Amino acid sequence: MSGIFWEISKRNIRIHMLRSTLAMLGILIGVVAIASMGILGNSMSLSISSSLSSVGDSVIVTPYSGSGGMGPGGGGGGGSSSDLYLTDQNYQKIKRAVAPNVAIPVMQKSAHMKVGVGSDDIVASMYGLPQDDIKDLLKDLEAGDYPSGNSACLVGSTFAKDHNVKVGSRITIGKDGEYGTLRVSGIIKERGMSFDISTDSALVVTRDWFENAFGTTDDELNEVVVKVSDGDTADVKTTIEKQLNRNTKDKTVSVTDSKATLSSIYATFGTVTTFVTAIGGISMLVAGVSIFNIMMMSVNERIKEIGIMRSIGTQKKEVMSMFIYEAAIIGVTGSLIGGLLSFGGGYLVSAMMLGTTEYIFTLASLYYVVEGVSFGILICIVCAVYPAWQAANLSPIDALRHE
Amino acid sequence: MAPVIQFKDVVKIYPLKSGDVTALDHISFEVDHGEFISIMGPSGSGKSTLLTMMGCLDTPTNGDIFISGLRTRDMSDTELTNLRRDRIGFIFQYFNLFPLLNIIENVSFPQMLKSQKQVDEKKTIEKLRAVQLDERLYTHTPLELSGGQQQRVAIARALINEPDILLCDEPTGNLDSKTGASIMDLMTDLHKNGSTIIVVTHDPHVAEYTERTIRIVDGRIAS
Repeated sequence: MSGIFWEISKRNIRIHMLRSTLAMLGILIGVVAIASMGILGNSMSLSISSSLSSVGDSVIVTPYSGSGGMGPGGGGGGGSSSDLYLTDQNYQKIKRAVAPNVAIPVMQKSAHMKVGVGSDDIVASMYGLPQDDIKDLLKDLEAGDYPSGNSACLVGSTFAKDHNVKVGSRITIGKDGEYGTLRVSGIIKERGMSFDISTDSALVVTRDWFENAFGTTDDELNEVVVKVSDGDTADVKTTIEKQLNRNTKDKTVSVTDSKATLSSIYATFGTVTTFVTAIGGISMLVAGVSIFNIMMMSVNERIKEIGIMRSIGTQKKEVMSMFIYEAAIIGVTGSLIGGLLSFGGGYLVSAMMLGTTEYIFTLASLYYVVEGVSFGILICIVCAVYPAWQAANLSPIDALRHE
Repeated sequence: MAPVIQFKDVVKIYPLKSGDVTALDHISFEVDHGEFISIMGPSGSGKSTLLTMMGCLDTPTNGDIFISGLRTRDMSDTELTNLRRDRIGFIFQYFNLFPLLNIIENVSFPQMLKSQKQVDEKKTIEKLRAVQLDERLYTHTPLELSGGQQQRVAIARALINEPDILLCDEPTGNLDSKTGASIMDLMTDLHKNGSTIIVVTHDPHVAEYTERTIRIVDGRIAS
């Protein structure tokens, strides 16, 4: 039975082609806006995710930089975090508290250096890590191997690219080479932004070399990175705080749970994505108003026809279905075309705002396209319900007499 | 056998701001199977209201209407709609065909409403032949047909579900006299074949074709 009403709906759209096309265009724009914004938000989120290295299992312990910080530079009166240190005693406490998880003490300094002979002076960060812990913290190498002796080092991928450093290259440390020369044993794979150490533009050396070269002591640790393989990062964070910050007024350490921080970042991006998608949704609401308007026009133009239908035995629900079909045809057509075009929209917006389009064709992007298409169809049908209901409930006599 | 239509003391009052208007005032009559009746009366006498009551498009304020023995007062909107679809055929002055559908689809429409599936096109063609419509016009749309041809299509549509009653509202009112006469000849043929036909008209020439005339004046049956 629905066949004849479906046919009437199709023909009515055809004879009002311009009006129907404009309504479809409204829905199409709405779908493109929603899906493109969703794709943009998703691309932003993925872009940030890829920049953050896999540090979701780390807890970072740094000297407390608020009032009453401790360490050689911060004896009891604030000071900047750069001259605050954790002591070996702090480290031992952390190590015991988090066992069997691995706690890695990190020393860090900026130093002048030269790559090869006669090259320009460079200033870069250097990290000193216990030789046995380097593998635990830096799991992936792009080339070469981990340092096997004190005069070997690892370099970050950006550093290697920028200064044309290869495995076997030699780097002289210090303005006049006063700290000695290091041989590059390996290149660390790009890690992006990270909560523990940022190695992409830095050098990583053994702690022994670091202490010998710079004359630092065991009590000059910049941070301790705990790699959590047993238990939850939040529990490890609580344990460390309990052990080291017993006095709430005079804290010793700041503890960062990287997983919680990551979650917070993702939640923020989720909110941003929802917000920009909602902005796209406004255009869909405008399109919905236009659908409502043309459906009301359609009903008003066909009052007599509705009266004839009702007088010869058409049920109310059948009259309703005719208008719902009409809106559904407009909605499905506009939304599907919009869905296809939104990949293009997402591509353009991402290219312009993020400078990359590598995250467009992902499952999550497809989700936003499906969401936009579904919302487009839904809003068309919802906006047609009242006009259809009004058409179905016209008095057959009044409708028949309508001119 | 119960009458096809039975009105028992039917009153229809339209409440208006300026005061109630009594369109039908205690009307009682019966129409038997196979009758060919005309309803006449001056403008505003209540004959159109009577037709809408017979067609179950409206309900009386008081009194009872029985269509094929069924009391309309107790029926839901769905039941009344089904009654119109299955038992009543409407023929209007302005033909009232669907401009978006072709002739075959227009005639099949009530059949599709009833069967809820594919229609029997043979039956549609049979009805169109019965109203003597040129076969070349079957795939045309109503606006491509003359008034007389459109009215023939409307009659075929009214007959498609084999109704108990044909209700005609000024069926020749929009046609020239020659075409009007041919339509009334067609009605006469249908009556001879057993159809119950009620024609509302103000044209005495149309009334001459019928067996009985009910005259309405001021909402009452005058004769």
